[in-house]
Amino acid sequence: MAMTTLSSPVLALTDITKRFGDVRANQRVTWTLDAGRIYALLGENGAGKSTLMSILAGRYQPDGGEIHLRGSPVRFLSPAQALASGIGMVYQRFMLVEPLTVAENILLRRGPIRGKRTRDIRQIRELAERYGLLVNPLAPVRTLTMGERQRVEILKLLYRQAEILIFDEPTAVLTHAEIDSLFDVFRQLKEEGKTVVFITHKLEEVMAVADEIAVMRRGRMVSRVAAAQVRSHHDLARMMVGREVILSVQKPPVAIGEAVLTAMGLSGPAGADRLKFQDVDFEVRRGEIFTITGVAGNGQEQLVAALAGLAPMAAGTVSFRNRAYTAARWRRRTGDGLAYIPEDRDRTGSIDAFTLVENFMLTRLDAFGGALWVRRRRAARATAAAVRDFSIQGGGIRGLAAHLSGGNRQKLILARELSRRPDLLIAEQPTQGLDVRATEEVWQALLRQRASAAVLLVTGDLKEALTLSDRIAVMFRGRILDIVSAREAADIDRIKLLMAGLGKRE
Amino acid sequence: MIEDLAFIGQIAVKSSIAVLLATLGEIVAERSGILNLGVEGMMLTGALCAAAAGIATGNPILAVAAGTLAGGLLALVHGFFAVTLRVNQVLSGLALTLLGMGVTSFLGRPLIGIAPGVRLRAVPIPGLADIPVIGDIFFRQSPLAYLAYVLVPLCWYWIFHTGTGLKIRAVGEDAAAVDAAGIDVFRIRYLCTFAGGLGAGLAGAYLSLSYTPGWKESMTGGQGWVAIAMVIFATWNPLRAVVGAFLFGGLTALQFYFQAVGVELVPAYVLKMLPYLLTIAVMILVNVGPGRRFGGPAALGVPFSREG
Ligand SMILES: Nc1ncnc2c1ncn2[C@@H]1O[C@H](COP(=O)(O)OP(=O)(O)OP(=O)(O)O)[C@@H](O)[C@H]1O
Ligand SMILES: [Mg+2]
Repeated sequence: MAMTTLSSPVLALTDITKRFGDVRANQRVTWTLDAGRIYALLGENGAGKSTLMSILAGRYQPDGGEIHLRGSPVRFLSPAQALASGIGMVYQRFMLVEPLTVAENILLRRGPIRGKRTRDIRQIRELAERYGLLVNPLAPVRTLTMGERQRVEILKLLYRQAEILIFDEPTAVLTHAEIDSLFDVFRQLKEEGKTVVFITHKLEEVMAVADEIAVMRRGRMVSRVAAAQVRSHHDLARMMVGREVILSVQKPPVAIGEAVLTAMGLSGPAGADRLKFQDVDFEVRRGEIFTITGVAGNGQEQLVAALAGLAPMAAGTVSFRNRAYTAARWRRRTGDGLAYIPEDRDRTGSIDAFTLVENFMLTRLDAFGGALWVRRRRAARATAAAVRDFSIQGGGIRGLAAHLSGGNRQKLILARELSRRPDLLIAEQPTQGLDVRATEEVWQALLRQRASAAVLLVTGDLKEALTLSDRIAVMFRGRILDIVSAREAADIDRIKLLMAGLGKRE
Repeated sequence: MIEDLAFIGQIAVKSSIAVLLATLGEIVAERSGILNLGVEGMMLTGALCAAAAGIATGNPILAVAAGTLAGGLLALVHGFFAVTLRVNQVLSGLALTLLGMGVTSFLGRPLIGIAPGVRLRAVPIPGLADIPVIGDIFFRQSPLAYLAYVLVPLCWYWIFHTGTGLKIRAVGEDAAAVDAAGIDVFRIRYLCTFAGGLGAGLAGAYLSLSYTPGWKESMTGGQGWVAIAMVIFATWNPLRAVVGAFLFGGLTALQFYFQAVGVELVPAYVLKMLPYLLTIAVMILVNVGPGRRFGGPAALGVPFSREG
């Protein structure tokens, strides 16, 4: 099924190999890329996709193999060299200097030339307009949404005249509308003869834009097919995982119990100039999955942070397990019963420099230690069990969290929080960055939690919301517009309308 | 009374120059994310080398250059440990201070008591020096003080208004992002560490050529540590460093003044402690209360490596 092309490839990888200690991240990977095409790179968590792309972009050095660019061999010792040859990458974790402005980030390498500032800004504006990458060049990056940050990253590459643009899971942090416009940018780049490579776990995205699909498994490139030859999601899923994937989850009915969490009139965050969420009322009952959805930036993030006790609320009361807390006392609440899976797995969810075992103990210190001791063996056993149950791949339980691939890190946090047997589980974008199989496993795990707990799911992924939820609350500009039961198909359209701020029931 | 004020002011400026120069240097280094606690050691080394070169050559320019360069070279040792080997920067900086103190105390012994080869005396600036009070305070100073006056805005301009300055600040915030943008993180950090050493070396040269000409053991008397605190007080901004340095110099001057007029309002040893007490107070004030984030570089003291 190999591709046949008449022109010689722009980029050819031959037998690329990369090891991290004992982990073989890439094993003899061979791949060729042509100009004017869009490639989707798929594979399970930890398959080695990010590693391979980082080698192309000059961030990592391969242990073996060769790269040929337009027929001549190249070796990139730094991202600078790769960029100079026209290869640029947008990383999973954005590489922007937050306190600096958009323009400063774009001009960073060359350095803004004094006196030519207005010209530089105009140039950036023109470039942005040409590709529909709207963003204010004078805004500090710190104030931008994820979608805007990504546009800045793309502008950075275009400004440097990159010919091969690599994206590591670019859609994970985007809203539906943003994904559509990102794909429009991809198509425009393709028309201009540039090469686009993007990593993704969402099969429908692959079908939407890719010309060619490459699949990695356990460090190897296992198949390459033209997108036109793929008939169904099932084909793709099978290629990725190497076995049949069900892709639809069973949702056995569970008796709905008492309300575990009741939120009344919540507003916040405290101390902000502008409230990010206002007068929020809802309850989450044992046995149900209650979902809060909405376009990113409508207050869900702040609401969850407040509920998780990470940020103070301005007003309202929370009652949890039949105890009422004022806004101020909720923040200081200690004690168990509530587990939280944060969206930011790298900073809020885990600690880079800790091993998997240490990270696993992080929110469960009561179970694994006291003031004077730590039950290391027990923690190690529990971690090993989690690694087995959730098939977390990486350097073993004594390895550092920093060395886990994105998806495996998410699974570690999930396993830890579920093992706390909470009364309320707050899961924020729990399958972001997970492969199809892992997504399925997480979904199953969340559904299982209903048996003993109330689940508050916060997700921007409509498919996830509809698959799992019993009731869905849609947030818009800081308020819950409506709460919809997720049973009827007609509700999908209503939810979409609500997400756009329309269709509120009178 | 006016004369007293002019006298105190003059001494205050005179006493603030070394701290100011060292602070400027450390600001540059820290802006790039390199914390160098070796300022005291680099200052001492600069002071000794300047004094020695002065005695050997009698040439003021060579003496200043020797002291400055010595500070810079010693900083490169820190650069090697902190940037290339990625060891703990606090340890490496402290080691540098201990090294500087030990080596200068040993190598400086033959120089103690020898007449200084170079004395940079105050040079009144024609015209400006005749302005009442102001002229006396600011424009009857050592040439190195004038150099410091010029370096302050230059440093500020460099950090905040040039392409290199932008890169320096960016590296201090997020080295990985700067690396991904195709900029050599190591080169910038070495450059800034070196620049920081030059500042401390120059500060040392000022002490042994101008402030109290000649070499004395531990002649910096903790001013290197004060400079490190001043960086925080100045919130990593060269212009504000002037205020901090002048406060330090002012307290030192008061101490001289009371000694000179022979009144002892406060015990002398309390006065001697004042600059350091002030430093501590400043640190506390800057770090409590609202608006605590004072623009310190986010990646200060964090080593950078590509493969994690
Ligand atoms: N810096 C590192 N040090 C040690 N091991 C690493 C490092 N980076 C990646 N690995 C390991 O290499 C393997 C491949 O990781 P990589 O990040 O390339 O996977 P991925 O395909 O991008 O996965 P995901 O879909 O989860 O992002 C994983 O087992 C990971 O644990
Ligand atoms: Mg990855």
